[in-house]
Amino acid sequence: MAETKTLAEILDEMAIKILAIEPGDLSVVGELITLVEELCGSPDTAGLPFLLPMGKAFNDVLGKIIMGDMDDSADSFNKLGECIGNMQEVARKGEKVADTVPNQFQATMKAMGQDVSLVAGDTASQEDEVAPVAEESVSEPAAAAPPASADAGAIPDFLKDTDLLGGFIEEAFEHLESIEVNILDLEQSPDDKEIINNIFRPFHTIKGVSGFLNLMDINKLAHATENLLDDVRNDKREMDADVIDVVLEVGDFLRTMVENIKEVLENGPDCYQKFDISAHISKVVGVQGGDAPVVEAPPAEPAAAVPKEEPPATAAQAAVAPPEPVPASPAPATPAPAAAGKVKMPAPGKPDKPKAGGGAPAVQKKITATIKVDIEKLDNLVNAVGELVIMQVMVKQNPLVSSISDPKLTRDLAQLERITTELQKTAMAMRMVPIRQTFQKMTRLVRDLSKKSGKRVDLIMHGEETEIDRNMVESIYDPLVHMIRNSVDHGVQTPDVREAAGKHAKGKVVLSAYQKGSAIVIEIEDDGSGLNTEKIRTKGIERGLISQDDQLTDHEINNLIFLPGFSTADKITDVSGRGVGMDVVKKGVEKLRGKVEVISTPGVGSQFVIKLPLTLAIIDGIVVRVGEERYIIPTIAIQESIKPNRDHYNTVHGQGETLMVRGTLIPIIRLYEVFGVDTTQTDPCESIVVVIESEWGKRALMVDELLGKQEVVIKSLGGLMKDVKGVAGGTILGDGRVGLILDLAGLVQATGT
Amino acid sequence: MEEAKKDAGGESGKSVKVLEGKYLTFALGNEEYGVGILNVREIIGLMEITAVPHTQPHVKGVINLRGRVIPVLDLRLKFGMEIQEYDERTCIIVVEIEGSSGSIQVGMLVDSVSEVLNVAKDEIEPPPAFGTHLHADYILGMAKVKGDVKILLDADRVVGEGVIRELEEN
Repeated sequence: MAETKTLAEILDEMAIKILAIEPGDLSVVGELITLVEELCGSPDTAGLPFLLPMGKAFNDVLGKIIMGDMDDSADSFNKLGECIGNMQEVARKGEKVADTVPNQFQATMKAMGQDVSLVAGDTASQEDEVAPVAEESVSEPAAAAPPASADAGAIPDFLKDTDLLGGFIEEAFEHLESIEVNILDLEQSPDDKEIINNIFRPFHTIKGVSGFLNLMDINKLAHATENLLDDVRNDKREMDADVIDVVLEVGDFLRTMVENIKEVLENGPDCYQKFDISAHISKVVGVQGGDAPVVEAPPAEPAAAVPKEEPPATAAQAAVAPPEPVPASPAPATPAPAAAGKVKMPAPGKPDKPKAGGGAPAVQKKITATIKVDIEKLDNLVNAVGELVIMQVMVKQNPLVSSISDPKLTRDLAQLERITTELQKTAMAMRMVPIRQTFQKMTRLVRDLSKKSGKRVDLIMHGEETEIDRNMVESIYDPLVHMIRNSVDHGVQTPDVREAAGKHAKGKVVLSAYQKGSAIVIEIEDDGSGLNTEKIRTKGIERGLISQDDQLTDHEINNLIFLPGFSTADKITDVSGRGVGMDVVKKGVEKLRGKVEVISTPGVGSQFVIKLPLTLAIIDGIVVRVGEERYIIPTIAIQESIKPNRDHYNTVHGQGETLMVRGTLIPIIRLYEVFGVDTTQTDPCESIVVVIESEWGKRALMVDELLGKQEVVIKSLGGLMKDVKGVAGGTILGDGRVGLILDLAGLVQATGT
Repeated sequence: MEEAKKDAGGESGKSVKVLEGKYLTFALGNEEYGVGILNVREIIGLMEITAVPHTQPHVKGVINLRGRVIPVLDLRLKFGMEIQEYDERTCIIVVEIEGSSGSIQVGMLVDSVSEVLNVAKDEIEPPPAFGTHLHADYILGMAKVKGDVKILLDADRVVGEGVIRELEEN
């Protein structure tokens, strides 16, 4: 930038050039690019709304014209002329510019096939806009940084752009996640340029958008990292462990910063925290400088000097013809499927799994077209479909309807049933997301854990494409983390112990998921030492969980570890064994109406098996009758139902009553008593008892009659009643009445038996 | 029932609302009550109610309102009036109130529904401070229309209160 022109001068010059331009006159287009870059780089531009993205979009279009991707007809130039007019308007009026101006600009750009986002609420296309300008914009912050750092100390004006910021936060989390996944992939195959690109792009997008939103700290840090990656990409620097570590670190730090912004958005500017990024920046620069061969001057001073080391060659090249940012990359940086509030769905009818993030390297899989849908809309759809199914059943069961013996009606009803069932299946399938993302987070965890504990552990994953209910994704995360920790910390031994036992020094943790019938099974298997059954037994007796002369199989003993307050870790480590044991896992899994158990073979390893229902919206239940009321007992908790023999019935004075079932005394819960229902059947031996297993142990529920097995759609009882003890929710039964679904844990707790 | 800055009733606290407007009136025993029309979603006839355990006595249970499960309260029991057999005039007025997590629909069992009434500002008097079996908080005001007195209810207060009977109480 030889001389400093004012924005107005630059724009005027551009306007003159565009007027004089003739189709085919590419040299003038080149001059225009130089001018627009000057515009983008001008410190004044950063202070004006819209102008920076406008300039970038403009630059893009010019680039396309040069590359021959766009017609250099008089029409295009007329449109560009209009755009320059808009930009002049913005430059003149600054903050006070009318909304119509950027809108017009956007529309004109759109007509030329250039998406640009200038208004709030559309960060998605903003991202598309930023991504293609990869190369040339790298040189831009060189000039933009100085004024920015001046105001970086102040609290950013967050409340101005809440919509934009909200979008940014969500996107940023996605990007950070995909960065993490990719960098871990990169560790496995450090030479894969495509993975580097996959990391580069999200950083670039974060940098671009954060700059646009005036989040200068994030912008600078992302920018420095991007530079480092750029060097790696261009073979200026070796890919090694240092780079991976520093990128992971920056990723974590950026996440913290973005989380803070989220907090600010939610709770007001008081929560704003000023982060000191200089240490991180100098570290990045240090790693970059490590053996970066030819750059102007090795960056000595941190922070301020960061944006300097853009190789001049690239800048000059960009001035003439902005090269495509990433060779042969499919679609600009597809972010990983969202975790926060949105869900990606495969297009209906295509069961292909959606491609996760910039993830899967090497093999280019076919990308299914996906759309993002507000989770609320999806839930509404699922609810409506649920109602449709209920109505369909009600119509079919209507005595009047079922008495009509018209073959056409019968056929039509059957057809209706088929369609509704199909619809329900599809609606449910839309809520399903691959478990891949959750699994991939474990990669990082295992890496950190094994580093910390000095063990060498490989995480092998199977069945990442297995789909689980979106609503379960978050809830399954904590139990999984806990179990993985457990496997690495307690399961896999240290390398020397392993070698002594004749095993490979490197341990293995296998995480797999698959569907089995109407359940999802997740297994965590390690090849460690297995559980110490004897130790567990001793501890169990110590804690009073079992008695000395209980006859228990090894399997039963091993599963004692899921009881509260059970931990056999000899030493308390940073990783696990702080007293909170596997009961947390069990509780978490049971909350999802699932089950967990452990299978262990001494010396060979242990395997944790989690079984989860396919979906949280539907439950398999047994409908029982108590007096006039009907209740649904979740099938997963039911062990058996029996008509008790009087010999097995005991009353314990002051302690209630028990039933001897297969050698075990099980407390009886008289459901009619607990729920205050009138019934004539008050003799347990005349009734039916259903033996259930809850987290508080086995109980025998006394009911009048079993009515049948049914899949029911769970409905909330509404805000006012959500805390009713012993009731998990309601459902609409075949006759249109509401049936209550029992919450067994709550029921057992409430009765205090 | 619009919000307004003006203090309409001169009563403490709650009378930032302008009370004039349309009310759905209904009978409970010998009294006529009104509930703001904007709160009312629909009026349905009596239907089968599924009892929910561990709730207060006036909570009759839940019903299936076109696939939605909503709670139903018996206003007679809520207001401490004597129980009366339900008959063909018994109705459920479904009101919608703002709960802590979005709007909630609740059914109110009443003896019979009367009419929709336009209540003018000067027909409304503040609730009496004495002598009713009703908690004064439930009452927005008293409307004197054509010689009759209607008790205007605050739907949010009447149905918004907790319905869970604390287990400690038993």
